[in-house]
Amino acid sequence: MSVTVAERERAHVQTHSPHGAAEPSYAQRLRNNRLGLWLFVFSELFLFGGLLMSRFYLWRDPATDDIIRPELDQLLGLFSTTILLLSSVSMALAEAAASRGDRKILNAGLLITAILGIVFLGIVVGLEWQGEVSPGDGAFGAVFFGMTGLHAIHVLSGVILLLIILYNSLRGKFTTERHWGVEATAIYWHFVDVAWVFFYPALYLIGRAVHLG
Amino acid sequence: MEKESRVNEQNGGGYRQIIIIAVLLAILTVAEYFVAQALPSAIFLLLIALVKAALIVQFFMHVYRLWREESH
Repeated sequence: MSVTVAERERAHVQTHSPHGAAEPSYAQRLRNNRLGLWLFVFSELFLFGGLLMSRFYLWRDPATDDIIRPELDQLLGLFSTTILLLSSVSMALAEAAASRGDRKILNAGLLITAILGIVFLGIVVGLEWQGEVSPGDGAFGAVFFGMTGLHAIHVLSGVILLLIILYNSLRGKFTTERHWGVEATAIYWHFVDVAWVFFYPALYLIGRAVHLG
Repeated sequence: MEKESRVNEQNGGGYRQIIIIAVLLAILTVAEYFVAQALPSAIFLLLIALVKAALIVQFFMHVYRLWREESH
């Protein structure tokens, strides 16, 4: 009596799984997790993309239809952008360290990324939000606080994720082969950086500066 | 061990590659600032932003892992 491959696999699954259902391997779960996270990132693109479009639609001179912007401190924008890009570099180094099993650089990278994220939040909330534009400044206020506010919420949630991952790393939860938590946090953090890569020129550089008040 | 290290390098885990991308991002960011002062073209500035985003998505977010079925 011959046994087919499918029957052998079914028998193997029933032997190794308490409910008779196939347990996906770590590699399979990793692929599913990646796909799920990238679909989430894709959905976020619409949110940030919509805000970016609203900036170019609403910040226009009604008389000439020129693209305009409020007169913001461009050097402050450059500084906050540099901080966020540096945080992406430290996050990438941390993820690379996780792949190599270099726990010292992993922990240092995660800590530095979290600190740079907090510094970025401090610049946005403490300096940029206290600048020339206020929430009551019509389209300027609505778009500026909408874009920077939504982005800041994402940075804040990223910092919380980083601290959770750092805590887990300090407890030795990640190995060279298994560190999906680090990879997922890195993808999320870099996405927040990508969003700012477009927000920075849109808010600070593009268009004719208009003095408010 | 050597094989594992080579796999990590292929996965984009190389420190040197990260530093090269960081330098490129820094150059593009400074260029973006000065381009805005000299030639405030929305299209040109958005193109620079697009290049920066592509570098981050490819080398930091490792988007290629989605279809190469690689491990970490």
